[in-house]
Amino acid sequence: MSNKKTIQALNEKAKAIEALADGETETVRALQDGPPGMPAGCTTVFDTGWETNPRPTYPVGNCQASARDFHGCAGDCWWPAQTPDGLTNHPDMDQQCPNVARDWRKMKYD
Amino acid sequence: MKNRWKALIAMTVLAALAGPPAEAKDMFYYIGYGVIQVIDGDTDEIVADIPAEGWLRETALTRDKRYLYVTAKRHLIHKVDLEARKVVDTLDLNGDGWDRFVYGFDLAPDGKTAYLSVRGRTTEGGEVVVTPPRLTQMDLKTGKTLRTLELPWDVATLTTVKDGSMVYAIGKDLYKIDVSGKEMKIVETYPMYEKQMNFLPFWNYSWENGGIFMANYYTPELMGLLGINKETGEITDTPLNGIPVFAYSVIYSPDKKKAYGVMDELNVIDLTTNTYEAIVVNHEGTAYGINVSTDGLKVYLAGGGSTLTIYDTKTLKPLKVLQMATDGMDLRRVTF
Repeated sequence: MSNKKTIQALNEKAKAIEALADGETETVRALQDGPPGMPAGCTTVFDTGWETNPRPTYPVGNCQASARDFHGCAGDCWWPAQTPDGLTNHPDMDQQCPNVARDWRKMKYD
Repeated sequence: MKNRWKALIAMTVLAALAGPPAEAKDMFYYIGYGVIQVIDGDTDEIVADIPAEGWLRETALTRDKRYLYVTAKRHLIHKVDLEARKVVDTLDLNGDGWDRFVYGFDLAPDGKTAYLSVRGRTTEGGEVVVTPPRLTQMDLKTGKTLRTLELPWDVATLTTVKDGSMVYAIGKDLYKIDVSGKEMKIVETYPMYEKQMNFLPFWNYSWENGGIFMANYYTPELMGLLGINKETGEITDTPLNGIPVFAYSVIYSPDKKKAYGVMDELNVIDLTTNTYEAIVVNHEGTAYGINVSTDGLKVYLAGGGSTLTIYDTKTLKPLKVLQMATDGMDLRRVTF
């Protein structure tokens, strides 16, 4: 933890929370601090989300319809919170739902 | 002089006996989910299904056009016999307690080995351990790793150049790797990150694209085309004028006077002025992949959703929409 204090604990509860953090080592760091400096594991490649909108004007750049981008996002774990994580937890999701527009009712994942 | 006339007559007779040159035949391979579907370029009909396990990704073709290698689930490598239309071999990179993820794949010129960009993952003491990407040369018959080179963390895609003596690996920057000697080594870095070039180079069509590995990139101001000549290793950067269109993939017209790009629209790029000539909405929706017929008369959009739309390049009107068995990732053309 950084020694730099920007806020100060004033009541007992805040002091207790602060005490919990004593001796704690770094567990999280910003991706740009590197190495690795880039996401590793799920989102493994250099892609800063350009498809959200590279255009300065309308139309925005999202896929039409989003179902057509589902497998691309799922298999490679591009959007692991929104689609099944194809690299670790749902590597065979494509078998139950090979055509998302047609088979989406068969989809089973947590 | 007399002998020259004799030679000329002999050549004329031989040419007459040989008959007209055989017409090139396009076959298209739709890279789907658990299946590769084969489309005849003459009729634009689906003529075969090739079962192949997993969600399919990178493709590479042997020089004799007999075998198509296809990666799947980021850890399988299928060898597809295009004549027999079946998977004849599959390598699995996982094992020994390691998960491995392939993010770049290209064949060495002899087709016996391949270069891969591979990341590894395992657990030690309950903690996840992830290795940096490694350039890996692999024997495709045995699956044995022949040699490796640690790469920067950002590397994903790669391509062989200069008749297999070099590998270009693409991440935040482009790394030129000399693989001609015993040890593989990065010999040059082509800067892209400092130029604010943002890439997603997962679709490239070098063998359909006149030997040019090409991908589009974006800066805050523009879209550009980055080309890698696989024969010479030369890199060309073509910034485009005008408000950027949006494209996952791009490909040249056969005469290289135009380029086509696709995402939600079919984009036509005039390469004499480096401007956008036409933008046509693909009414089926987003497509990842694009390809052209050998004669340049048709352009094919596929991948993403489960449709394949064929456009007339003169009118930019759709000629046909094929309903594919599954969603897809790409469409490759092999001309026999």
